[in-house]
Amino acid sequence: MKTRDDVGGRPPSPHVSYIVQTMRSRMFKKKALETSELHNDIWQNIRPGEVLLEARGITKRYPGGVLANDAIHFEIEAGEIHAVLGENGAGKTTLMSILFGLVQPDEGEIRVRGRPVRFRSPEDAIKMGIGMVHQHRKLVPAHSVLENILLGHPKSRGVIKVREAEEEIVAIAERYGFKVDPRARVWQLTEGEKQVVEIVKALYRGAKILILDEPTSALTPVETERLLESIETMTQDALGVVPFITHKLPMVLAISDQVTILRRGKVVDRLSRAVATEQILAQKMVGRPVIFDLQRPDVEPGEPVIHVQNLSARNNKGFLAVKDVSFTVREGEILGIAGVAGNGQHELAETLFGMRPAESGHIFFQGRDITQASILERWKLGMGYTPAERTEVGSIGDFSLTENVAMNYYFDARYNRSGFLDYRGLRRLTEDIIAEYDVVAPSPEVKIQTLSGGNLQKIILGRVLSRRPKLLIANLPAQGLDVGATEFVQRKLLEARSHKAAVILISEDLDEILSLSDWVAPMYEGEIVDILPAAKAKKDIIGAMIAGLHQEN
Amino acid sequence: MTVAGYQIQLRRRASLPGWKAAMFSFLALLFGLLLFSLIFLLADQSPREIYKQIFGYAFFNSYGLRLSINRFIFLAFASYAFIIPFRAGLWNIGMPGQLYMGALASFGVVYLLGGKTGELSISQPLLLAMLVLAAMLAGALVGGLAGFLKGKWNVNEIVVTMMLNFIAFYFVSFMIKDGGPFMNLGGRGESFELPEVARAPLLAGFPYTLLMVFALMFALQALFARMSLGYQIRAFGKSPLAARYAGVKPFWISIMVFVLGGAFAGLAGYHYFAAVPGVYKIARTYGYFGDLSFYGIICGLISLGNPIATLFIALLFGGLSIGGRYAQGKLHLGFGVDYALMGVLMISLVAFQFFYNYQIAITKKDS
Repeated sequence: MKTRDDVGGRPPSPHVSYIVQTMRSRMFKKKALETSELHNDIWQNIRPGEVLLEARGITKRYPGGVLANDAIHFEIEAGEIHAVLGENGAGKTTLMSILFGLVQPDEGEIRVRGRPVRFRSPEDAIKMGIGMVHQHRKLVPAHSVLENILLGHPKSRGVIKVREAEEEIVAIAERYGFKVDPRARVWQLTEGEKQVVEIVKALYRGAKILILDEPTSALTPVETERLLESIETMTQDALGVVPFITHKLPMVLAISDQVTILRRGKVVDRLSRAVATEQILAQKMVGRPVIFDLQRPDVEPGEPVIHVQNLSARNNKGFLAVKDVSFTVREGEILGIAGVAGNGQHELAETLFGMRPAESGHIFFQGRDITQASILERWKLGMGYTPAERTEVGSIGDFSLTENVAMNYYFDARYNRSGFLDYRGLRRLTEDIIAEYDVVAPSPEVKIQTLSGGNLQKIILGRVLSRRPKLLIANLPAQGLDVGATEFVQRKLLEARSHKAAVILISEDLDEILSLSDWVAPMYEGEIVDILPAAKAKKDIIGAMIAGLHQEN
Repeated sequence: MTVAGYQIQLRRRASLPGWKAAMFSFLALLFGLLLFSLIFLLADQSPREIYKQIFGYAFFNSYGLRLSINRFIFLAFASYAFIIPFRAGLWNIGMPGQLYMGALASFGVVYLLGGKTGELSISQPLLLAMLVLAAMLAGALVGGLAGFLKGKWNVNEIVVTMMLNFIAFYFVSFMIKDGGPFMNLGGRGESFELPEVARAPLLAGFPYTLLMVFALMFALQALFARMSLGYQIRAFGKSPLAARYAGVKPFWISIMVFVLGGAFAGLAGYHYFAAVPGVYKIARTYGYFGDLSFYGIICGLISLGNPIATLFIALLFGGLSIGGRYAQGKLHLGFGVDYALMGVLMISLVAFQFFYNYQIAITKKDS
């Protein structure tokens, strides 16, 4: 694709010399990139503190006029951890993709150690020493760690010297304090271990600048700590590390030397760790002051709403994912189920709502055994569920907002008159939800797939809460939302609690669990380790429990 | 893309009003006809003359029009048999089997009442109601079987409906040929003819099943646009996971759509073998009508499952299949020209649906 730079805004002239000139410059550029000496040259003698990578005036406009990046300046020095902070849609992903060659900028240039470069593909970027660790791991599960690291590596064309490669990989891992078993199969690894594999893979390919996308989103606190230590070691080797982070502000402050904050495609500010505080970062990121301390009013707990007795359930692979779980939640209480992804919380939520059969045990709702009740009966009884998979399960992308709201009302006598739906009434209800939940949508008749993630979640939550459920099961209600929407969703959960609803909150964010819950139930490998009242639930204790480090006293 | 200072862009549409969708279909039709004229020109024929013959016979000749309308009614029922499961994301490929069984059931009623050999002493309205109900019931049972297997054990409905076609096809043979119970007394490998009283009354020369088509159109339009069941079918069709989360019962939906679809296919069988003037029997060539019912899939797909739009498509293809064959014979056109024309029109109609989702925007590029 031609960018503006290529043609300089002029229509192509038929003049021969012009064509020759263009072709020459193209050939030259291509040659420069493919010369491996350049790669070796360019990384000689790095001095700590010198600028490794520089992005100047990066502008990217997407079709439809969205300005994803607007004249962004960004630089990373050797031995520096430079976080890029911004809400969803602030342009982080675009910038990251441009630095890694996945997207070509409309304007601006990238320089590696002062030399202008152009990345046409990730391959070019990798050759220039840029490594990327995606949030969603891109590994082959059935293959070993070693095979994954070698896969696609330039050295691996032809004959692979497996033993040498293995030794080299182990050496790299040891140098930075990573524990990697090259023979292990990827599917056996935890999310944290997979991330380590990705990082080692990038380093093995010679990355000098490491881009990390939401590096701690799937890690336990213990794993996070280990990762941070390794990153510190890397910077001592004059590598540059660029973590891209949405909302984990404490983590930003813990590791970064510099923070660049993006908002609406522009660089809002660049701060050093010395002057940054959580308050300042949040305010700059969102564009307005953010309240961190949620008001959790005292609510006198009432009758038990849900009582779960020795519940077990299997996951999609047929393994026992929920093991002998028991708990009770009363009116006006929030039970926070903490845990790292894949420890059975998801299966527990689905089993509670009847979307997954219980293997054994019982679920009592207001004293009634509903273990075998259908999903429809559970809605009618006053249970509500907001799924973690908002686009696949929680909404129907092709349906309008009104039709999506109807998902919870098509069976309701108020909107279903002898088989006929009252679409006009449903539209009014949708308008009410849009107003109350501050949803940005042109009309209730647009398709819901046109909404952003935060607005989608507001509609789903608003739809479920508008039924005034006696029990709300909220599965990862704020995951992936920006700071503003997160705050809003959390306030609504507390509001439901004030209305005497029982709430089961499933979250991977310990801070969220601790700030909202009356009771905290950490889950590890399908079991609820303990159920602690809020006063006794300290972050380090819970953190150890969800990592499986809890010792029975 | 930029051409002479103008920027040409493809943009995704957020929504499309109904009249625009209709306009694109009409343009697609014109485009298809123009495209096919090239073939006529290559064969040294005048496209204008041929189209005049085709459309003139199909829609403006009183005899041809009656044939076209009979085809139209048949295709409309077959399309509705496809559309209902289609809106639930399921594929009914079993219209032939369902309509054969529907036709057999209608003839079975007459047979049981003794109408094969003697005259019937039963009031005509009652008899007609029984024939129609029997046809719908038989179609619904055959369809419902596929729906049950799909809902209960997730057995692929395409395979089941397709295989049931063969079973039904040979079951009809068994009943009407080689001494089967429904065999014509003359032993011609055809069913007995319906007695006078069992034949469908005509309204202005058209079978009364035409009224049923329009009644069904209103009913289906209401089902999808206003009713809870239709909402559940649509939700299930767009996202089975989300529908299940909302409390829709997949088993119930699978059964419902195939029972309804099968019943409509049963009506198609009733219509062609018991209501079309001059037929009133299951002829040796009954397999032809089974194949013809596959055009219901085409009509349903082109109209994207819209019960009103389907009728226009069904009328077009019903008419073309009659007019095309007529023109082919009259002007000595090549073999299969009628089907080739219908094929080109189908592709053109489907291709133009690109514009349902995208629009081309041409803007002057500012420097």
